[in-house]
Amino acid sequence: MLKKRILFTLLYDNGQFMLSRNFRLQKVGNLAWLQKNYNFSQISFFIDELIVLDVTRGERKPAVFCETLKALTEGCFVPIAAGGGIRSVEQARRLLRSGADKVVVNTPIFSQPALLREMVQEFGQQCVVGSLDLKRTQGDKYEILIESGTRALNGVATEELQRLSDGEVGEWYLNSVDRDGTGQGYDLALLDQLPVDWSVPVILAGGAGNASHIAAGLADSRVDAVATAHLFNFVGDGLKQARSTLLSSGVELASWPTVDVLFGDTLPEQQQDIR
Amino acid sequence: MENSHKPTLRWCSNCLSMSTRPRISFDKRGWCNACVWMEKKKTLDWASRQKELEQLLDKHRRSDGGFDCLVPVSGGKDGSYVAYNLKHKYGMNPLALTITPALALELGEQNLKAFVASGYNHITVNPAYEAMRVLNRVGLLEMGFPYYGWLISIQAGVVRMANKLGLGLIFYGEDGEVEYGGTTETDKNPIYDVQYMNKIYLEGGYEKVLKESGLPESDLFFFRFPDDEDLQRTPIDITHWSYFENWDPYRNYLVAKEHCGLKEAESSNAGTFTNFSQNDQALYALHAYFMFLKFGFGRATQDASIEVRRGAMDRQQALNLVRLYDGHYPHEYLDTYLEYYQISRAEFDEAIDKYANKDLFEKVEGYWKPRFIVT
Amino acid sequence: MNVRVTIVDYGIGNLWSVRSALRYLGHDSVVSTTPSEVAQADTLILPGVGSFRKAMLALRSSQLDEAILEAVTGKRRKILGICLGMQLLAMRGTEDGETAGLGLISTDVERFDSAAMGRLKVPHIGFNQVRSEDQSVLLKGIASSADFYFVHSYRLLADGLAGQHGICHYGQDFLAAYEHENIFATQFHPEKSQTNGLKLLKNFLDY
Repeated sequence: MLKKRILFTLLYDNGQFMLSRNFRLQKVGNLAWLQKNYNFSQISFFIDELIVLDVTRGERKPAVFCETLKALTEGCFVPIAAGGGIRSVEQARRLLRSGADKVVVNTPIFSQPALLREMVQEFGQQCVVGSLDLKRTQGDKYEILIESGTRALNGVATEELQRLSDGEVGEWYLNSVDRDGTGQGYDLALLDQLPVDWSVPVILAGGAGNASHIAAGLADSRVDAVATAHLFNFVGDGLKQARSTLLSSGVELASWPTVDVLFGDTLPEQQQDIR
Repeated sequence: MENSHKPTLRWCSNCLSMSTRPRISFDKRGWCNACVWMEKKKTLDWASRQKELEQLLDKHRRSDGGFDCLVPVSGGKDGSYVAYNLKHKYGMNPLALTITPALALELGEQNLKAFVASGYNHITVNPAYEAMRVLNRVGLLEMGFPYYGWLISIQAGVVRMANKLGLGLIFYGEDGEVEYGGTTETDKNPIYDVQYMNKIYLEGGYEKVLKESGLPESDLFFFRFPDDEDLQRTPIDITHWSYFENWDPYRNYLVAKEHCGLKEAESSNAGTFTNFSQNDQALYALHAYFMFLKFGFGRATQDASIEVRRGAMDRQQALNLVRLYDGHYPHEYLDTYLEYYQISRAEFDEAIDKYANKDLFEKVEGYWKPRFIVT
Repeated sequence: MNVRVTIVDYGIGNLWSVRSALRYLGHDSVVSTTPSEVAQADTLILPGVGSFRKAMLALRSSQLDEAILEAVTGKRRKILGICLGMQLLAMRGTEDGETAGLGLISTDVERFDSAAMGRLKVPHIGFNQVRSEDQSVLLKGIASSADFYFVHSYRLLADGLAGQHGICHYGQDFLAAYEHENIFATQFHPEKSQTNGLKLLKNFLDY
């Protein structure tokens, strides 16, 4: 059986990892902070996938971001998606050469549809994750924001989504701007914006604060994966705790033995410390 | 301390409120009064409280264009939220008032400007700078209350201004005692008086500090409550918004940033993981540090407990944050503090040593470290 | 024992994570774009994601295809094909029209049969269970039904194929792992499959 996934999203801004609340960024710490407080090579054994987004508000430095990505993903044996500011196939390729398995695009879905097609042709459909930032407007209507949430598309989200051919990319990452970073739980109404025959995997993001929010997101049949970017709420062993809470309450997640169970003492010495 | 009896420490079994908090109590489950109150709020008859609010507002509503009520604001999330609701939801004509804090921060000033620009009548009261400085210094040295002067003025000065302006209604934000664990004297009674204010918010030390400051009466106008005669002539209803509507600091933050131009700090605030409250003055970080030294819990504990109560994280997650952030020594402002209080580093450290709770802390390499582990 | 692994680089796919996994297991690796190096290799890994046709064109134009065949069929060196790398070992791919593969596994690559999929989404993305046979080299010491990470829309047909198979079910049974003599392949990504994947890579290298 195909298992549902829990993704951890890291937001990067010019050397710092950030917490986003409704797309307003708060500096949390640099790579050293992350490695210390998340013990990254260890905590990555408790997530199904990692997403790293360069959300730098000023001018991005792609080369530095790629180096950070390499450092971050060393010893991290889960799929890794990266994105933020990709405007050419070459930029996407650089990320794929720096540890990413997939690239995440947002604004170009609407501003450069040709680029999207080109990337799918070049790297395959499964390699491209389309990211959509949705914000509630009136009643149960939503709009789609692009350019780091600073610009809204004219149409209502349901119509925009109808226009998108869902088969263009490998996965869709639906993020709630209203719930982003709030810890109020996912906005399941985002899923109502999708056409009923939507056939590509959906990652739901925005609002998870704790294990019960994650469980509620995974329980929806339209959801294939959930993501959290809450650097504070899951600090320390938070991701490990959440996963074990969910597994013990019967949520169908992938499982694998711990390093020592699988390898006993046969693991090379330099790896012993990560157990 | 002569009596070496060490109190048994405990933490709320739902959030992380600590048993050292003044006036706290725990129920059979080990829940603190703030958590019990949070639970109670879910089934509270808010409709009837809203009626009470409407009656109170109608009692003070004016038709001559004058102000109906006074709302103390700093430009932060809570005062902004209250003013926004009074004006836009209830059609009142509130006057917003700010008592300028000592060592105001730029972000706080920007936020205040943005709040005013979002559509409010507002006055700023600047109590004599030197008078507040002296009172803050006495507060620091004699009570371990680094901004006691400002604390007096946001009570006494606000009431004084209401009295002078002939306004009979003052809206504070939350009743911290009820919301965050403390006395429940006011959880059924919305209106309180000057005596209660003095007892709870100024911990009864107000007269003593004014006297010890040696300041002349002429400097103390904004630090003294009006006298009984004045208060009888113009009675004032002092109340908290949190009595009438479920108080949710996070919602206030969302409303204030959406409607009142509130901006957060770029990084986390000192000693915690949030960036969207208490951005108005540099002394808050010191206030929080003294609270930590006296009682064993700091700003991260308070913030994390709020997060638990609103359902954003569980207790274990909160614990991780408290262990990471609580009890931060405010290095970044140290020079600013010394210059402001006009004291030496030695005198500053002496004040810290004096108020650090020796049952809870021991000095390791020059800093007070907890003897306890939050569990 | 340190095995020196040659990872074939034909410009497609994330080589970084394969190298990182090998490093973790204590093995050196070289990434090679040079046919002569690949032909001389002791142990080969052929990774890859993306389009079958593009990948085959890249292998051919760089003559890496011949180099791989020389090492594997000529010198009997062991090879592990991962994901698209597995598909490239087959006879034929059908993504973007029909393209001949390396022909090391005598079966074809086809898209998931939509008639069997019902409401299942394609691509097949995520951790899914792989059932293994007892004598498997790759899956030795791993639970008989273990989770591995997949991301693909095409898969190998298993009918009548010789060798050891690991089977995954997604709407229909398909070939998730394959081994026959010196040829090994996984449709899933062992380098993305946490400790299960690390163990599998170790099994391959130790063999």
